[in-house]
Amino acid sequence: MATQDTASQATPTARDRLRFVRQSVSHRLPNAGEGLVGYLFLLPALLVFTVFLGFPILYTLYLSFFRFEGVSNETVFWFDLGFFSYELTRIADLTFVGLNNYTALLSDSLFHQALFNTTFILLVQVPLMVALALVFAVALNASFVRFKGVFRTVLALPVSANLVAYSTVFLLMMQDAGLVNYVLTSVGLPAIPWLTSSFWSRMTIVGAVTWRWTGYNMIILLAGLQTVPQQLYEAAEIDGASRFEKFRYVTIPQLRPVLLFVVVTSTIGTFKLFSEPVIINGGGAPLDSTITIVQYIYQTAFIDFRLGYASALTYVLIAVVSLLSAVQLNVGGEGDA
Amino acid sequence: MSTITLDTLRKEFDSGDERIVAVDDIDLEIRDGEFLVLVGPSGCGKTTTLRCVAGLEDVTSGTIRFGDDDVTDLRARERDVAMVFQNYALYPHMNVRKNIGFGLKLSTQQSSADIDRQVEEVAEMLGIEDLLGQKPKELSGGQQQRVALGRAIIRDPEAFLMDEPLSNLDAKLRSQMRTELQTLQHDLDVTTVYVTHDQTEAMAMGDRIAVMNDGTLQQVGTAEAVYRSPVNEFVADFIGSPSINLFDATVDGNRLDGPGDFGYRLADTTPVEGYESVRVGVRPEDIELVADGIDIETKVLEPMGNENYLYADLGGHELTARVASTARPSPGDVVSFTFDEDALYLFDPETGEALKTKTEGERPGEDGHVEEVVG
Repeated sequence: MATQDTASQATPTARDRLRFVRQSVSHRLPNAGEGLVGYLFLLPALLVFTVFLGFPILYTLYLSFFRFEGVSNETVFWFDLGFFSYELTRIADLTFVGLNNYTALLSDSLFHQALFNTTFILLVQVPLMVALALVFAVALNASFVRFKGVFRTVLALPVSANLVAYSTVFLLMMQDAGLVNYVLTSVGLPAIPWLTSSFWSRMTIVGAVTWRWTGYNMIILLAGLQTVPQQLYEAAEIDGASRFEKFRYVTIPQLRPVLLFVVVTSTIGTFKLFSEPVIINGGGAPLDSTITIVQYIYQTAFIDFRLGYASALTYVLIAVVSLLSAVQLNVGGEGDA
Repeated sequence: MSTITLDTLRKEFDSGDERIVAVDDIDLEIRDGEFLVLVGPSGCGKTTTLRCVAGLEDVTSGTIRFGDDDVTDLRARERDVAMVFQNYALYPHMNVRKNIGFGLKLSTQQSSADIDRQVEEVAEMLGIEDLLGQKPKELSGGQQQRVALGRAIIRDPEAFLMDEPLSNLDAKLRSQMRTELQTLQHDLDVTTVYVTHDQTEAMAMGDRIAVMNDGTLQQVGTAEAVYRSPVNEFVADFIGSPSINLFDATVDGNRLDGPGDFGYRLADTTPVEGYESVRVGVRPEDIELVADGIDIETKVLEPMGNENYLYADLGGHELTARVASTARPSPGDVVSFTFDEDALYLFDPETGEALKTKTEGERPGEDGHVEEVVG
């Protein structure tokens, strides 16, 4: 093996020397703490999570059993080392009320209204949007459609629109004398009180949310469609399936996990609806008919400063959303498509 | 069940600004009840041809007929063919029972009970009656293969079209399924077009073999015909395992001179008349080790048990020989070989066309070994 010996005596390049250094460093690193190294990498994310998510989540639960009586400056704990001193103050003045916040919910008519509004918007908006997104996705996936890229971009663009800006545009278009009513009346149809009737103002919100999120969901469904093996369609074609039967027996079952994802995330999204109703309410819609749960929580917490009650509301919202998602996952998730 | 006729079938694909000719004006008749194997290297157009017959591809020009009916413009679902795909393409969300019965459910007016009964019959025929409640992902490759076959059989179609159906199976299962498929096809007597790149499979299974290359049909005939009388160098090289030994030789009167020590005196010079050089082909099984002949240097010896494969060097060319298991030259040993002139193949060096094949001199009867010669 003389040739190899001479080869190994050749001067190492800079890149080689770098590799030698790296090797010698990794040899010297302690081996025992291999598990710990992993946690070390997790630490920054864990810290951020604990401070900005973990603590608020738990503190909200804690708050929901208290009545908030203003910000506190009472000292809980302090020390003074001369060159360094530290003082921990209580966050808030709280009075323990047990489950009172939760029992109060049962007789809070505005909460019931908000729950009804949100559910109403959900029941109209999610099926409408998912159906529309599916139609667009299937259409864009069809081989004969041209300018796919353009359509895809145009349809997905609304998701990048600024919330306030687009809500304001909807507000302007839906005015009694706005663009939409102008078009309606000019073709001989009656004008619709988009913002002032309680039914139609909810529909305006449905329209706005659908406009914004359909494209986003379409992209997800389109990605799902593109993973359906072409051979399944060919097998179905050979088996004698029509276009609709292929959709019914191949596309839908294959797309089920993706559809489920879209339905669950849309449901959660609609439960979190806030900006659109706030701005459209601001435009004069009857408050009670469009107020959503999150909007009500906002009002309770930051306008009325009933933080304890708002926390209880938040936890009820979480419970409702979790329950609904669990049901959806259970119903839609069986099988293995 | 019917004869399938392809008449100047052509299929081109657009690829950017290029037109790729996948199938180049093929004429082929697949007889009623025949098992025809389309074989060729990858990219030769065999699968595209099959997909045209299935109706999964539009043809660019030419016609396809089932019996007397022109089906060229019919969609796949209107052609009444059944297809077995390479990866089976079972419906993952349906159990075996539904997978097999799906075609009947869509294309016939039969009651669910009737369909169920037929599914059970077919499953029994294939030995998968215990798997009816399972989903495809719970099955082994061989079981999935049977389900795919069941899905084809139950339809009682005009033709079976199979696209490399055994290539995802391991070697043992593959040869077992090969026999089963042949028995099944024989019993059902359905016209079958079978695509494979494996020439052993093609030889073993086909009533006739259609060898394709570069979108054109090279030769159609029985296994024996394409093996003994290939129309050109491509077919000779593609059919047979291990492959035929091929090299250049110059013609000098009745003498052929090739690489290394290769020299051979022809008794009959008619095939090489007018040629200055030819391509010489000798099948590995026709090579005989003798005391005095053409010298070659042993490189590798592969014992197969019943025989040995000898790989040797002939003036820079690798020569393969199937020799007796008692012949055991060591690497580096020089041995000598010869062969019968009857066994010699000669090809035109320009066109690759066969000038002389094995059949000549020992043609066993006139029952049509050379059936159709194309190109």
